[in-house]
Amino acid sequence: MRLEILSLALIVGPCTWAFRFFPTKADLSGIKPDGILARFLASTGPAAIATLFVASALPMLKGGVPLPLVIGTLAVLAVYGASRSVVAATLAGSVGYGLAVWLL
Amino acid sequence: MNTDAPKTSFTAGVVTALPIALGYFPIAFSFGVAATRAGLSGLEAFGLSLIIYAGAAQFLALALITGGAPLLVSAFTLVAMNIRHVLYGPALIKRVGPEARTKYAWAWAFGLTDEVFGAALGALARGKVAFSEAFMFGLGLTAYASWLSGTALGAFAGGAALQEYPVIDAALGFMLPALFLALLLSILSKAQLPVIAIAMAVTVAVTFAWSGTAGILSGMVAGALTGLLVRRGDAA
Repeated sequence: MRLEILSLALIVGPCTWAFRFFPTKADLSGIKPDGILARFLASTGPAAIATLFVASALPMLKGGVPLPLVIGTLAVLAVYGASRSVVAATLAGSVGYGLAVWLL
Repeated sequence: MNTDAPKTSFTAGVVTALPIALGYFPIAFSFGVAATRAGLSGLEAFGLSLIIYAGAAQFLALALITGGAPLLVSAFTLVAMNIRHVLYGPALIKRVGPEARTKYAWAWAFGLTDEVFGAALGALARGKVAFSEAFMFGLGLTAYASWLSGTALGAFAGGAALQEYPVIDAALGFMLPALFLALLLSILSKAQLPVIAIAMAVTVAVTFAWSGTAGILSGMVAGALTGLLVRRGDAA
């Protein structure tokens, strides 16, 4: 393993671990249920996942919304609505997208 | 025995991680293929997954390495990209409440990726599981094992593995957006719709105006700040 790649991993890996671990030790006992910080933290999850969905789908836009992206997204929505299963919805979206690329 | 009680076991974590494992494996496979295509050895590709364990940052690392970026510039860029993870621990612990134990968080928090955080939050919101450190270990280790095995297989398959299968390549490429969308649906509540809309809009605007990393950070913070307007009891 080249030294530069190992060095990069050994800088970024521990920093990422620190970002994930140390905040779990934050003392949250003093946070009021209706306080600003409580509402901020409760919204962090939906905001983060919505952001990551957009960030992962954006590179697929090429001057418009490609039909496979629409079909894949609809497949996720339909299968999740019918089954309430994250597994089934994820697989359906991927299969729907792949089939659309193949057929169109 | 009350079978309706929320599960807290390691096994419950493994089961909750199944969609992540299904999503991670092909993405990690793609990473292994892309890494060897970019000139990394199989050991180097596996090492990045083993030590960094952050998908988007790893793909960006390939671009930085092949682009010849200096080590410290690359490291700073990747560290900045992963700063968003500081929000996940407190959000998860706040969701669980005072009973949240974090004695072994130094170990399970290593696996607190975007998807693991989303899956944990979704499972807790649905009420089928309750937080425990065993649950977090089951969730995190399953996802990690999938990521490592996918990387290893992709690196072993080599840089040309998917070139003759563009449809499969495309389907695998949509796995991550599909997983995020499904996770979003699993924690969706009417009160959080403004949070989601603002997060998405800001992500798009800042990504086009500046960069993808800035877009992710801005979208998360803008969405969470919008949450300050959500009334008590409405929060997910």
